[in-house]
Amino acid sequence: MKHSNHIGGRLFIGLTFLFLYLPIFLLIIFSFNAGDSSAVWRGFSLEWYSALFQNRLIMESLYTTLLVSLLATAIATAAGTFAAIGLYSLSRRKRDALLVVNDIPMMNADIVTGVSLCLFFVAFFQGWGAFAQWFNGVQGAVELPTRLTLGFGTMLLAHVAFNIPYVILNVAPKLRQMDKNLVDAAQDLGCTWMQAFWKVILPEIKPGIVSGALIAFTMSVDDFVISYFTAGSSTSTLAMRIYSMTKKRITPEVNAVSTLLFLSVLALLVINNVREIRQEKRAERQEVREPSFFEKLSMKFNQPAYRWVRRGLAGAMACAFLVVVALLTGATSSQPVVNVCSWGEYIDEDLITQFEDETGIRVNYQTAESNEALYSLLKSGGADYDVIVPSDYMISQLMEEGMLEELDYSRIPNFEKIDPRFRNLPYDPENKYTVPYTWGTLGIIYNANMVDEEPASWGALYDDANAGNVLLINNSRDALGAALLHLGYSVNTTDEGEIREAFALVADANRRGVFQGKVMDQVFQKMEGGNAAIATYYAGDYLSMVDNQADGVDLRFVIPEEGGNWFVDAMCVLKDAPHFDEAMEWINFIASTEANLANMDYIWYASPNSEALERYPAWYEEEYGEELDPELYEIMAVPADVLERCEMYTVLPPATRSLYNDLWVQLGT
Amino acid sequence: MRNKRAWFAVPYVIWMALFVVIPILIMAVYAITTADPATNEFVLTAGNFTGMGLYLNVFLRSFWLALLATLVCLLIGYPVSYWMAKEGPRFQRVAMALIMLPMWMNFLLRTYSWMSILENNGLLNQLFRAVGLLDLLGVDHIQMIGTPGAVVLGMVYNYLPFMILPIYSVIVKLDGSLIEAARDLGADSPRVFRKVIFPLSLPGILSGVTMVFVPAVSTFAISQLLGGGTQMMLGDLIEQQFLGGAYNPHLGAAISMVMMVIVVVCMVVMNHFGEGEEQAVML
Repeated sequence: MKHSNHIGGRLFIGLTFLFLYLPIFLLIIFSFNAGDSSAVWRGFSLEWYSALFQNRLIMESLYTTLLVSLLATAIATAAGTFAAIGLYSLSRRKRDALLVVNDIPMMNADIVTGVSLCLFFVAFFQGWGAFAQWFNGVQGAVELPTRLTLGFGTMLLAHVAFNIPYVILNVAPKLRQMDKNLVDAAQDLGCTWMQAFWKVILPEIKPGIVSGALIAFTMSVDDFVISYFTAGSSTSTLAMRIYSMTKKRITPEVNAVSTLLFLSVLALLVINNVREIRQEKRAERQEVREPSFFEKLSMKFNQPAYRWVRRGLAGAMACAFLVVVALLTGATSSQPVVNVCSWGEYIDEDLITQFEDETGIRVNYQTAESNEALYSLLKSGGADYDVIVPSDYMISQLMEEGMLEELDYSRIPNFEKIDPRFRNLPYDPENKYTVPYTWGTLGIIYNANMVDEEPASWGALYDDANAGNVLLINNSRDALGAALLHLGYSVNTTDEGEIREAFALVADANRRGVFQGKVMDQVFQKMEGGNAAIATYYAGDYLSMVDNQADGVDLRFVIPEEGGNWFVDAMCVLKDAPHFDEAMEWINFIASTEANLANMDYIWYASPNSEALERYPAWYEEEYGEELDPELYEIMAVPADVLERCEMYTVLPPATRSLYNDLWVQLGT
Repeated sequence: MRNKRAWFAVPYVIWMALFVVIPILIMAVYAITTADPATNEFVLTAGNFTGMGLYLNVFLRSFWLALLATLVCLLIGYPVSYWMAKEGPRFQRVAMALIMLPMWMNFLLRTYSWMSILENNGLLNQLFRAVGLLDLLGVDHIQMIGTPGAVVLGMVYNYLPFMILPIYSVIVKLDGSLIEAARDLGADSPRVFRKVIFPLSLPGILSGVTMVFVPAVSTFAISQLLGGGTQMMLGDLIEQQFLGGAYNPHLGAAISMVMMVIVVVCMVVMNHFGEGEEQAVML
């Protein structure tokens, strides 16, 4: 096309780029912020970069992202090129039919691809389990693993599956443009087919292969949805890690890692551009230049006499690749591991390192968003956790469905220190399955500077006076529980009419725009930053919010007059957990008084360990040189009279559970 | 010789069957069954589809917001592609690189950057406060996050490159002699655009629309981060059934199937008006 320097056009392009890059620049600027706010500048600092390199979870996920993208790109590029050549040897009709199938993964929404692959893998694992059991039964020589789970392998397969079509689509046109007679001519002149492939076909289609690989890599790095559905519980890509962080409090470490990623890609692009420009200039000048060392080397290799060297080298490289892959998978499996799934910001992370140093057991620590989400994960077969920390009612449900393993209390001596109040509770009457982790209450957290009067009743959540400033808790049990309390019903009612009435109260408020959003752990940044006035959340989390509240925010906690809910979260081991012994060690370690003190101090949830609970105020004074505010301590470890006003959830019968589910999904639709 | 290479396609055919066709069939099986709560066995049912009327609003909202986002992408993307193609080769190369660059940062990072901008106490509201706009309006903040607008903005921001790339790659390859011929035959600039350039760039537009609309209609991360969970979309609904709070993969599979069919029908109808979507994903 004609070149013309159109001012309006350039301005428009410039504005578009500004739109594309302004958010990224802000992200970069705030990676150098001294505070942990992503909106208020508090001075220059590199603290988030040093924090980033010490943040094992982020660094591991970055490594996983790069590894899966590179491997998937390499495999998909080789396989896709190979397949494209095959496709072009087929008759036109067959080829066109196959190309339609090839389009499916690209036309389909990511979520459909992810969901279908997830279901496929799970179905395959079930089939495999049955086969392996039968196979191990009929012979004793080879022991096949009977339990396969989603993980890095399935994620890699999924990435390869969605990358191959892009490679084919880029290689195919080059094959179409290629003169078919070239290959014949090469073979007539004495080339074997392989030689013809390396010397004639490959150079012709190389641009297509390169751009195909580039697209494949881009798609892999950019992917979140497909990984999310196929990676299971044991691995996370950077995107998955960030997604789970956005549910809690995003720290500027994410800004730091984005900045580093951005700058490295930018550097690559600049280098590439400079090189291309140089090449162009050279071509313009028709410069005849001396072949470089590598070019001479490759010319030499191309002589027939070096054929064996070539093949040997290719073989060696393939072997090296396999060894690296084997090492990567082997290195992780030789060390004892325990897979733990807990809630976000629910542990003092130093405890993990301490446990690893003491026992040599690697802790694979993952988090789930809510009891219901954890249940989904377990049911979908995507999880291979050993230890989970569900709440009371979910424990009953898991027990009911036979999903928990009995614990070996002889190996958990620290269980002795658990306060009798928290033993043999209704969810585990004989205490065979659980060791309590924390306990606490659910109440209303509010910003005193944003409400006119203290929300003493749950009704404040549905009040138009607070429209747009209420955060609804994003799980059906707590959200409907609060409504039931407000209406004067039990949180454990199975009466459909009462539940529907409670739902109507919530749905109606939702329709009137009272709720700003449905959140779980996002409540932290919303409340701390003064972005919302009222939320339903847990007492322990309120205390950690107070610690982080921004200027001009005055957070308070109240258990409304209608009463509240009190809960126990307890450690359990899943049925057939692959690392039962390690799980016992972990549970015993976490149940110790020292670990409970550290956790109490870090997450502000009350400990069920009577020693720790008693010692905490003194411990706090020793640690910080100031007295623990007794009011705060009372919010954490609620006195008996307040606890009496609170009701614990019990497991609901299946019909009521599905009513909860159906109603909950309808909310906001 | 041709047939000698035909076996190259065999592993590919097996692969596609295994990882593309069979998974979709399994999903279809889930869609038409439900799990018996007592025995956990699959029972045939049409209930997953007949009960979907409850979610009509989610379907409508998803398609409406995705349509809006696609339109905005087209309105921004087409002029950018058109004017970019008029620039010199060096400008074009740099511009292409700049458009691709954000894609190498994961899209969640890009979405996250908007969160801190749009919050009630975020950068934009602080800017408004600093310049006195909020006092002028007599409000504490302007609600941006958690609105449909924020979701559309997130979609446009994330998927704009998918609109620009295919349109640009078609326009830049337009045969210049056609334009000259049109001019020689007396057409003025608007007419040349209307009668020559625009019709010839239609394949790029169609593939761009596809590449923006499909991910937009099915997103759940953008609607959760920027929509605050109140702007429920099809993706959220499906995610909830698999990994979220309401475990029911059968309903999730059924919704996925319906969404897939609607999208495919849309695409077939659209592609009927123009041909060739292959440029879509090529550099």
